Amino acid sequence: MNPLLQTLAETIIDGKHLDADRITMQLLEEGLTPMTILDEGLLPGMGVVGRRFRDGEMFLPQVLVSARAMKSAMKHLDPILAASNAEPKGTILIGTVRGDVHDIGKNLVSVMLQGNGYKVIDMGIQNPAEKFLAMYEEHQPDIIGLSALLTTTMMYMKTIIELFKEKNIPVPIIIGGAPVTQKFADEIGANGYARNAVDAVDLVHAIMKR
Amino acid sequence: MTPRERILAAMRLQPVDKIPLMCQMSIGHMLQQFQCSPAEFWHDARCFAEGLLSLRELYQFDGILVSLHGHDPEWKNNIASRRMTGEYEEILWKNGDTTHFLFDDLPEHISAAPKNLLDIFSVTKNDLPQHVNFIPVSQGLNFFIHPEHRFDIFRILREKTGGEISIHGEITSPLDYYLECTGYQEGLMGMIDAPGQVKMVMQHFTEQLQELAAAMCGEDIDAIKISSPYAGAGFISPEFYSEFVLPYERELARTVRGADVEIYTHTCGAVNDRLEMMFDAGVSGIECLDPVPLGDVELEDAFTRIGSRGFIKGNIDSVSVLLQGTKEEIISDVRRRIEIGKQFPGFILSTACSIAPRAPKEHIQLLRTLIDEYGRK
Repeated sequence: MNPLLQTLAETIIDGKHLDADRITMQLLEEGLTPMTILDEGLLPGMGVVGRRFRDGEMFLPQVLVSARAMKSAMKHLDPILAASNAEPKGTILIGTVRGDVHDIGKNLVSVMLQGNGYKVIDMGIQNPAEKFLAMYEEHQPDIIGLSALLTTTMMYMKTIIELFKEKNIPVPIIIGGAPVTQKFADEIGANGYARNAVDAVDLVHAIMKR
Repeated sequence: MTPRERILAAMRLQPVDKIPLMCQMSIGHMLQQFQCSPAEFWHDARCFAEGLLSLRELYQFDGILVSLHGHDPEWKNNIASRRMTGEYEEILWKNGDTTHFLFDDLPEHISAAPKNLLDIFSVTKNDLPQHVNFIPVSQGLNFFIHPEHRFDIFRILREKTGGEISIHGEITSPLDYYLECTGYQEGLMGMIDAPGQVKMVMQHFTEQLQELAAAMCGEDIDAIKISSPYAGAGFISPEFYSEFVLPYERELARTVRGADVEIYTHTCGAVNDRLEMMFDAGVSGIECLDPVPLGDVELEDAFTRIGSRGFIKGNIDSVSVLLQGTKEEIISDVRRRIEIGKQFPGFILSTACSIAPRAPKEHIQLLRTLIDEYGRK
């Protein structure tokens, strides 16, 4: 294995975006394929970040700089991957629900999923059920993720799930947010609940394997 | 003891006749119970005061937390148009902004102009506000403080309560001001990218907030709560807490306690790894202490570790217990906390985070019943 791939993984873990940018370009110049750089450098790096975050060894600022480093690398790989029709692991549509402007947790889930090889379509905040439906029809994602921070807005997740059920669209819908629990997810008919961004990635992996 | 005496005694770790009861209420919950124009409730000091008093009476709390202050008495002069819809009360402001005042939650504010965020690498002291003229209430929502009416609300409340009820003010943490000005993600990354710059900004806001807190202390209040929601383990490490939170909250604590007023910190979520550090700021107490699943604090363990250093105000789960729990579940949960709290001086029974908007009033009223039955000393 090219030793620079290990160095690249370390730049992701350490959140050094300028180094990640430079090393990725260097690896491409040396003839490595984007998939090799992704699978053997970037994804192992983000994997360590995820584990350390879950275990309380890394915190939000560190995860955010790691995600930024990942982004710096991916900006070189994405155009080549797109041109070669390389398939992402899956496509996830994610958004904060109507009435809710909070997006820190949702953004974190978004970057962790991207860092694990998924294509993420981030709808931002304040999304009504109809917009989730329209975006589903346009992008045909494998999974939809709903986020809410407030006890008032989390109830709207049920409205969205019911709309998809009414339309007989079998896409898995998963939920998260500070006041949300597994019990609540079961009550509203969600297909999954994740307590944090790392669990969200594990949940998505599990659903994609089904 | 009067309610005020009871709260004061608990905050000073002195004997009480029964455990004091005082929860902070979300704006949405107050609106649900008080039933008034949500715009008036948000902007009008008298209306807000009436709501606080009415809810205190309904729940028989020993104290009132004043979460908003600095209401502009001329706020209606800024209105271009106003209408009521089924979902909210909408105000279009003369400056082009729009606010949707919900009936069960915080308002949603839509600015006409894009927000200018500070670049942490290039910001200088001259770019920062020279006076703290807003409260960062929630992500993207500020409450503007009128410079000539900063504390009208306290005078109204004191006049109406006749000094019998404990009244607490609220100051938002310097960390929140910093994050609000830089953007949350950029601000958090700034702690790694440009720690010296972050500290300069934090110090600046701290000095402004010290002035605000010192002036608030002159309003016959018993305590100031520092609202510091981003200081828990869900956001930053204990090391960053020590570096970016503690020094600044310590300055605030010194100012407030120097004025013989109590001060306590409210940090949501997981704080079990930093309970001792929170007291290192020199505060009189700490609030919230969310239990699992919202947080990770076990009340008895917290008392054992920090109970001798100051008071604890908490730690009922406002979502799983008071919003979603059955009457039996609430009684069991709250009674257990009362039994633990009774063994230690300095316990104020409270929700951890604010009472959720749609928590049934009967659930909250149970707290007084349970204190009267089991909380006497």
